[in-house]
Amino acid sequence: MAIVERPTTSEALELEAGPRHASPDDALGVFRRPQGDTGWRSWLFTVDHKRIGIMYGAAALFFFLVGGIEALIIRTQLAAPEQEIVSADLYNQLFTMHGVTMIFLVVMPIGAAFANFLVPLQIGARDVAFPRLNAFSFWCFLFGGLFFNSSWFLGGGAADGGWFAYAPNTSVIFSPSHGMDFYAIGLQITGIASLVGAINLIATILNMRAPGMTLMKMPVFTWMSLVTQFLLLFAMPVISVALFLLTFDRLFDANFFDVSAGADPLLWEHLFWIFGHPEVYIMILPAFGIVSETIPVFSRKPIFGYEFIVFSGAAIGFMGWGVWAHHMFASGIGPISVAAFAVSTMFIAVPTGVKILNWMATMWGGKLTFTTPMLFSIGLVTMFTIGGLSGVSHAVAPADTQQTDTYYIVAHFHYVLFGGALFGFVGGFYYWWPKAFGHMLREGLGKAHFWTMLLGFNLTFGPMHVLGLQGMPRRTHSYFDGYGFNVWNLVSTIGAFMIALSFLIFFWNIFVSRRDARKPEWVAPGPDPWDARSIEWMTASPAPTHNFDHVPVVTHRDEFWYRKYGETDDHRIVRIAAAEDVAQTGHRRDVHLPAPSYWPILLCASFPLIGWGLIFNLGIAFAGGALALLAIYGLAMEPADDPDGGHGHHDGHADHTPTDGSDAAASPTDGDADKETTLVD
Amino acid sequence: MHRFRSTVGSVRVRLFGLLALAGLVLSGCAMSLDGDTPQTTLEPEGPAASKIDGLSDLTFILAGIVFVLVEVGVLFVVWKFRKRKDDTGDELPEQLHGNTKLEIGWTALPAVILAFMAVFTVSTILDLAEDPGEEATRIRVVGQQWWWSYDYDIDGDGVYADDDVIAPGIENPEEYETDIEVANEMVIPAGKPVYLEIEARDVIHSFWIPALNGKKDAVPGRTHYLSLEADEPGTYVGQCTEYCGLSHAYMRMVVHALPEAEYEAWVEEQLAPATEPQGAEEQAGAEVFAGRCASCHLVEGTNDEYDGATVVSGAAPNLTHFASRGTYAGSIFNLWQDADGNEAVDWDEIGGELNRNQLEAWLRNPPGEKPMAADDNRGMPNLGLSEADIDSLVAYLTSLD
Repeated sequence: MAIVERPTTSEALELEAGPRHASPDDALGVFRRPQGDTGWRSWLFTVDHKRIGIMYGAAALFFFLVGGIEALIIRTQLAAPEQEIVSADLYNQLFTMHGVTMIFLVVMPIGAAFANFLVPLQIGARDVAFPRLNAFSFWCFLFGGLFFNSSWFLGGGAADGGWFAYAPNTSVIFSPSHGMDFYAIGLQITGIASLVGAINLIATILNMRAPGMTLMKMPVFTWMSLVTQFLLLFAMPVISVALFLLTFDRLFDANFFDVSAGADPLLWEHLFWIFGHPEVYIMILPAFGIVSETIPVFSRKPIFGYEFIVFSGAAIGFMGWGVWAHHMFASGIGPISVAAFAVSTMFIAVPTGVKILNWMATMWGGKLTFTTPMLFSIGLVTMFTIGGLSGVSHAVAPADTQQTDTYYIVAHFHYVLFGGALFGFVGGFYYWWPKAFGHMLREGLGKAHFWTMLLGFNLTFGPMHVLGLQGMPRRTHSYFDGYGFNVWNLVSTIGAFMIALSFLIFFWNIFVSRRDARKPEWVAPGPDPWDARSIEWMTASPAPTHNFDHVPVVTHRDEFWYRKYGETDDHRIVRIAAAEDVAQTGHRRDVHLPAPSYWPILLCASFPLIGWGLIFNLGIAFAGGALALLAIYGLAMEPADDPDGGHGHHDGHADHTPTDGSDAAASPTDGDADKETTLVD
Repeated sequence: MHRFRSTVGSVRVRLFGLLALAGLVLSGCAMSLDGDTPQTTLEPEGPAASKIDGLSDLTFILAGIVFVLVEVGVLFVVWKFRKRKDDTGDELPEQLHGNTKLEIGWTALPAVILAFMAVFTVSTILDLAEDPGEEATRIRVVGQQWWWSYDYDIDGDGVYADDDVIAPGIENPEEYETDIEVANEMVIPAGKPVYLEIEARDVIHSFWIPALNGKKDAVPGRTHYLSLEADEPGTYVGQCTEYCGLSHAYMRMVVHALPEAEYEAWVEEQLAPATEPQGAEEQAGAEVFAGRCASCHLVEGTNDEYDGATVVSGAAPNLTHFASRGTYAGSIFNLWQDADGNEAVDWDEIGGELNRNQLEAWLRNPPGEKPMAADDNRGMPNLGLSEADIDSLVAYLTSLD
C-alpha cells in the first residue's frame, strides 16, 4: 500500500496558525480520531477503501486456507471406501464448515474485496460514500467469520447441519452441540456486513461517478458489482429472518420449526433458497465482471456487446429471484410449482449463455496474449460453461430428481463456484495485483499456478459427475465397496491435493514477487502494465490514497484507452500517447480525505461478545451490548475529521470547515481543483 | 460391512461426467472402471425411471452438443487469434464494439432450445405426478433416523398398523392382524403399480430407489406421494439422499419385487403373528427380548402394550418377522449369507445360512457398528448384553420368520 509521508512540522504549524472553527472535537476531546498512515494501527483504523479491499482479500484467503484444509480432510476420508479417518460426527461438521466457510467467508468476501478496491477507482471517486461504514462492514465480516469458526473450540463441536441447515435437523434435539448456534449467529453477523456494504457501494456507484461517466460508460466490473449489491440488499434480509427464527428456536425455545407444534419444515427451505439462489449470482457476477475487464485488455479489443453484457447481468439479477424452488424439486412442493420453477430456471440460462458468447466474440478477431490473468479468464469461460450446462440438466426437473443430493450436484456447483467464481477471482488477483501493491506477480509461477489448478480442479470435480450419476449421495461420511464408486473417488482425492499444490504455488508467488520488488534491480511496473482500458490504470501503481490527483473527466467508455489510442485519417488505430504521459503521478498532496476512526472495529468487536453471550452467558452479551452502545456513541460523536489526522494527505486546511457529514468522502464535484481542467480527447 | 448389488446383469454406465474430465463427448459410451454400479441412475428398471432416463438422455445430448460447440469454439478462437511471434503489437485489431443482429440471434437461439426442452420437461413432470389409481398397492413409507419402515394397508380400511405410534392416542392393536408393518426392506409385486405415501417421524429424509424412480423427500408433518413400479422381479437398492444427521450415510433401503403369487404368499406370512419360541435357547432369547428390547421394538403377539416412547422419533423397527428380511440396521448389514457371492442377499437367500458374526457384533455394541446418538435416545444403545444373552437373542430373532 501507499506509504504516505506524515505532515511535516512546518505545515502543521501553518495549520495551527490558520483560522479555526468550533467543532465537536473541542467539546469532546476524548473522541479524537486516530492518526497516521503507517504501522499496524493505521490498518486497524483505516477507512481507505483500498486498504479495506486488501484486508477483505487477505482475510478471505485466510479462510480459504481453513476451508481448503477441511476439504482435504473430506477428500482424504473419501479416497477409499469405508475409511474411518474422521468419525461420522466430525465429517458432518467438516462438510458443513467447508461449505459455509467457502461461500460466506471466501467467495463472497473476495467479491467484496474487488468491489471495495476497484469500484471507487473505476468510477473516479476518492473513496466510497460512507468510508467508516465501509470499515464497519469489513470488521463485521471478519469478526463474524472468526466467531463462526470459534465453534471448533468453544461449541462442543462445530456446526453439523449442512450449510443449507434444513429444519428440523438443526433443532437442539437433533443437533445438540452449540455448532448450529454459532452458525445462526455467525452468519447473522456476516450478513450485517454484506447488507451494510451493499448499501454503501450502491450509494457510491449511483452518486460518486466522475464527471461524464454515465451509467452506460461504467466499466463492466462496476456494473456487475452494482447488480451484486442490489442482490445482497434484497437477499440478506431473507436469510436474516430465517436465521433469527432458527436462533430463537434453538436458544429461546420458540416453535418456528417444531413440527409437533404445527410447523412446516418447508418454511425454512423456502426462506433459505429465496436467499440461497440469488446468493449464487452474488458469488458469480463479480467474477463475470472481472473477466469482462481482462478479456478485452488481453484481446486488445473492446468488450463485444457491452449493452448485452450489462443487461444480461441485470436480467440475471431480476430472474435470479424466480428460480429458488429448483433446489426443492424433490421436496414435495407439487407438480405445478415444480413445472413453473423448471421453466424459469431454464430461461435464466439465456442471459448467462449470452455472456459466454460475448466473451468469445470479444476474443474473435483480437490479438490474444496469454498472460496469467487471461489464462484464468479463459479458464472461467470454459469451466463455467460446464457448470452452466449441468445446471440446465437440473432445470429438467424429472432428471433433477435423480441428480439432486448426489455428487452430480457437488460437481455442478463446484464448476460454477470454483470453475467460475474462483477462476475469475484468481485471474483478478494477478491482474490488479500491481495496482494494489505496486509490483507484479511472477508470470512463470502464475502460469504454473493456472495449469496445476486447471488440472487439479478437473480431476477433483469432473469425476463427481460420474459418481453422482452412478448414485453416490452427497454429505455421506463413507461409502461401501461394491457400488463402483472407488476409482473415481480416488481420482477426485488426487485432484484435490493438486489444487492444494496450485495454491501453494500462488502463495509462494505472492512471497517471492514481494521479495523481488525489494531488490535494487527491480523495475516498477508503472501505472499501466497491461495496456489496459479503464481509468483505474490512469493513476499510479500502487494507487495513491487519494486515488486520482485530478478526477478524470470521462468522455468515453474505456476512457483510458481513448487517451492512449486514436484513429488516423485512413481509419487505422494508432497509439497517440504513452501510458505514463496520460496517467497521473499520484503525487498530489492537498487532497482532503476522511480521517481514520477507532469506532468501526470496536463496534464490530462487540458482536462476537454478544454472540458468545447469547449462547453461554447473558452477562457477556450485556458487556458486548455496552461496548456496542459505546462504539455507536463514539461513531456519532467523534469529530467530523481531525485536522492532524487524515487518512491520506493533509491539506492546507486554509479555509476548511468541518462538515457534520463526517462520512462523506470528498466527491469529485467538491471543487474545481479536484477536477481535470483539460480534457484529453 | 456388506453391501448389495442388484440382480440385473452387467451394468453399463453412460458417462456424462467424463465430458468434463476429458473434454470429449462420451455420452452413450460404456464405462465401468471398478465393477458393477447397482445404485446407478442410468439403468432404469421401471416405467417412471425410464421416462426420466429418456428425458435425461435428450438433455445430455443437447447439452453435449452445446458443450462441444462452445469449448471447441473457445479453443479455436484462442488458437486462431493468438498474437503471433512476429507481431510487434503496433497494429491493433479492428475495434469492434458489437453487432446487434448477432446478439439478438444468440439470445434467441438458446431460448428456442430451452423452450423445446421445457415442453418435454413440463409434460414429463405432470405425467410422473399422476395417481396410478385404486388398483395400485399403497404403501406408507416412513423415514426415521436412520432406517425406513413400510406400512401396508392390507385390509383397505385406511388405517395403518402403527398409526398409534405415529399419533399416540389412537388404539388399534388389532390392526397388526389385518395390516403389515415391516422395516428396512420393502416388498412389492413386480409389474404392478405401487403408490407410496412418504412421511417422516423426526427430520427430513429422502426416499430413493434410482432404478425405479427419482427421489422424494420425507418431510415430517407432510405426506408426499411417489409412484413406483418394477418391470421385472429383482432386488433394487437405494439410499437416503437428504442429509439427516449422524448416520445419513448408513440409511439404506432395499426393494424386493416379487412375482404376483410370491408377493401374495409374503403378505399372508407377514399377517401372521410372530412365531412362538421353540426350545430353551429361543425361550431364553424371548425373555431377554422382553426385558431389554421390547421397550422400543415390537414383536406382534408378545408386547402389544409397547408404545415406543423411549425413542425420539417414536419408533424402532418392528421385528415381528425379522428373519424374513435380508438386512437390518438401515439395511447396511446382511442378515443372511450371500450364498452365490453376488454381494447381495437375494430373495432366495433369505432364510439360508445366517451371517452370525455380524449379528452378534451388532447386538454386542450397536453404536460401535453404526454411528448413532444413543445417548440422546436416537438409535440403538449398547445394552451391555452378556455373550449368553446374545446367543439366545440370536436364536430367538432368527426364529422370527
